[in-house]
Amino acid sequence: MNKEEETQLIKRAQKGDRAAFEELLRVHYDTIFKFAMKWCGNGSDAEDIAQNACMKLARAIDSFNFKAAFTSWLYRLVVNVAIDWQRSNARHTGEGDAEIKGVTDATAEDDIYARQVMDEIRDLPEKEKMALLLVIGEGLTHKQAADSMDCKESTVSWYIHEARKKLDHKFGQERKRG
Amino acid sequence: MDDAHLKKILQQENENAAPENAKKRALNLAMAEFDQHQKEKENNFQGSGFFSRLTGVTNKNNRRKDMKKKTYIFGGTATAMALVLAVGLSMHQAPHTSNGSDVRGHVGGNNFGSIAQNITTSTSKTPFSELLKNLKSDSSEQVQPEMRREIEEYNISQVDQITKSDDSARPAPITPSRSNVAAKEEAKKMASPSGNRMQAQGYAAETDMAVASSPPVMQMIAPIDMPAPHEYKDVGRDKFEDFTENPITLVSEAPVSTFSIDVDTSSYSFMRRQLESGVLPQKDAVRIEEMVNYFDYDYALPENREQPFAATATITPSPWAEGRKLMHIGIKGFDIDQAEKPRSNLVFLLDVSGSMNATDKLPLLKNSMKMLLDSLEPEDTVAIAVYAGASGTVLEPTKVSEKSKIIAALENLSAGGSTAGAAGLKLAYELAEQNFDKDAVNRVILATDGDFNVGITSQDELQDFIERKRDSGVFLSVLGFGQGNLNDQMMQKLAQNGNGTAAYIDSLNEARKVLVEEASSTLFPIAKDVKIQIEFNPKTVAEYRLIGYETRHLNREDFNNDAVDAGDIGTGHTVTAIYEITPVDSNRSVDESRYASKDTSEAAIEDKTDFNNEYAFLKIRYKLPKEDVSKLITTPVTAANEVSSLTQIVCIRAEGCPSSANNDVRFSAAVAGFGQLLKGGKYIGDVNYDEIITLAQESKGVDEFGYRAEFIQLVRLAKSAATMGNPQ
Repeated sequence: MNKEEETQLIKRAQKGDRAAFEELLRVHYDTIFKFAMKWCGNGSDAEDIAQNACMKLARAIDSFNFKAAFTSWLYRLVVNVAIDWQRSNARHTGEGDAEIKGVTDATAEDDIYARQVMDEIRDLPEKEKMALLLVIGEGLTHKQAADSMDCKESTVSWYIHEARKKLDHKFGQERKRG
Repeated sequence: MDDAHLKKILQQENENAAPENAKKRALNLAMAEFDQHQKEKENNFQGSGFFSRLTGVTNKNNRRKDMKKKTYIFGGTATAMALVLAVGLSMHQAPHTSNGSDVRGHVGGNNFGSIAQNITTSTSKTPFSELLKNLKSDSSEQVQPEMRREIEEYNISQVDQITKSDDSARPAPITPSRSNVAAKEEAKKMASPSGNRMQAQGYAAETDMAVASSPPVMQMIAPIDMPAPHEYKDVGRDKFEDFTENPITLVSEAPVSTFSIDVDTSSYSFMRRQLESGVLPQKDAVRIEEMVNYFDYDYALPENREQPFAATATITPSPWAEGRKLMHIGIKGFDIDQAEKPRSNLVFLLDVSGSMNATDKLPLLKNSMKMLLDSLEPEDTVAIAVYAGASGTVLEPTKVSEKSKIIAALENLSAGGSTAGAAGLKLAYELAEQNFDKDAVNRVILATDGDFNVGITSQDELQDFIERKRDSGVFLSVLGFGQGNLNDQMMQKLAQNGNGTAAYIDSLNEARKVLVEEASSTLFPIAKDVKIQIEFNPKTVAEYRLIGYETRHLNREDFNNDAVDAGDIGTGHTVTAIYEITPVDSNRSVDESRYASKDTSEAAIEDKTDFNNEYAFLKIRYKLPKEDVSKLITTPVTAANEVSSLTQIVCIRAEGCPSSANNDVRFSAAVAGFGQLLKGGKYIGDVNYDEIITLAQESKGVDEFGYRAEFIQLVRLAKSAATMGNPQ
């Protein structure tokens, strides 16, 4: 879907067009889910977060004002839902219960390492975590991430810098490779 | 770690695709929310016309222009929708006529039409016209119930086989597998060499694609209790109450031991499940009394109705320590005749939150409920309430004679959302009270993984709520499902405080045991708040240790206090309590207190005659189900209850042959020994798994349903799990 189509869909959805809204959901559900998964690292939590995010979107879509890219805006909505959800959910532990799946070309060691990194990312402060996931995980530019996080571009760079510093401190520089 | 590597790690996370059914559910809920929102918007504008609902454009100059554009779009949308409806209808009709004689004809071409469409939606972007068709077929009620069931059962047994490649015509291989491990390996095998991007991981159940691309598998309906291999596994979030084993107590310091009975069995089935997957259960998950009470024992029945149960005591030498003895107390409740059974007014409260969305949860729950329906009488009433993010009544109280209606309501349930358990409980109690019948058994049956995370989530508040409701005469049973996220502590809290029992259902077989074979004991209480108090005679007993019942401890003064809640007994229930006692003339493990004034206690007893052959005095307090004042049963445990051997002694001549304990006593001792071993074996010396196996095997008895044989198998599993050096 190109940008123009998406804009049209959003506009129609804002005016109450069911089908347009459903198409929007269908297109973006996977993005929402995967982002939630990265955020919380647990499948059933991610399902719940994605579901709550979709339901929230049903109402929030009206307030989208096209100032930022739709996805940037959407990420923020998902993060807000995820944070709310995790706070209301006392039992959230996130103790390495995420399994990194579908890795066939990596060794078990890499798997474990990747899991440790993901766990560490999940423990970052919310802003830093969000900046890191958006820019490195979702491939957004610093500008787009800044839109999404409602802050300055330089602040995004700062968050990422901070996050990287923590990860590097934790995992060292020894495993440098491309 | 550089950016590229970090990026790669994050990219790998993208491999976690959302399960199709979760997506469908989220979409449906979001659409409902959307509709609701639109309706509200309309109301806010007081119906002042179609276009006034426009939002998001504040510039007055633009507005007119926009509205014009809108007319056009709305017109277009309406036309498109009409077209879609027409296309959808014709698509629906077509396969019906062409497939009549096909193998799958009897299950209705209808569904294959829709399934085929699902494939396209899951692999590529789809015009909304297709989506509408999907929606329509999803919500269509024309689908025959048996068809639904078949598909569902099939889904459950399926390994998820979603091909990510676009050639969706590739037949999806089916791997009905015996165990998780085997399936995982098989899936790996399939995934790696072929190099196609078959996703070997993923989630259970959304198998529409597999169904459509390889139709013959419809006939392969696997048993429902087979664990589905590739689904989310929550690990290590099971919650159990911490407790430590009862210590050895000196009779001279605390001669009285008081506890509430416990007829729950959930700990045993949970343990079984853990052992079957090759790990030793967490120590806190092992409640010895629940393991012992899992089995049915043939204790003496009460002689008359006035007294709802009878107690049998046996003293035998302890299998765990030289010189000690076991005091075994067996209680059996009377069995009411089939004809005398009161009517049941049942409210099923089913947890349909997202966490229940696993094959060993909701689908197993549905099937268990169907089994329970079969054991009910036509005059009984059943209502169904569900809770997830919100709670709602799915079925108003309905007579069991209208079974199809009940089953249809069950079939329509699907899991999703967070868990507002408290609201659900409130609703269920309201339903039960609304249909309250003072001559019937009014019971709420809560089926859950115990995960309450919306509304009242504090256990204490929930407990308060349940306690208040208990007085209304409604009983509560808790059925636990699933593993990984099981909140056992919550379930126990609820059941113990709500005049009820907790059972853990891990397979259809367990469902049959709890809901069919033991339906009457599960459903019909004969006594409530049953408390046991034992006073040991310091002249004969030096020390005692109660095996199990740690979580059921009561204070000495609670025994006579009718306001203190305790466990309930259903018809035909058996309850077993085992003490290990050290007679005064044996080696003690606790030093006698230097300053204890032995003289006074002995002198006091000396005054009364003939206590020298009495070990203890057993008191049982209980209330009849509809009464609030407790009754008391007392029996002394004397040397007459003693047998000289735990293991069976076979003599050629009957006279002079030493007496031995019966099979039930021996078997329960074996179970108790196993429980203690699982908990670390602090008090049982060097008893090992093999000795337990031998003891259990000798006392297997008739074992009609093979439960005791299964137990022996579990001990073997535990032995190998322990030898493998499991950290626990």
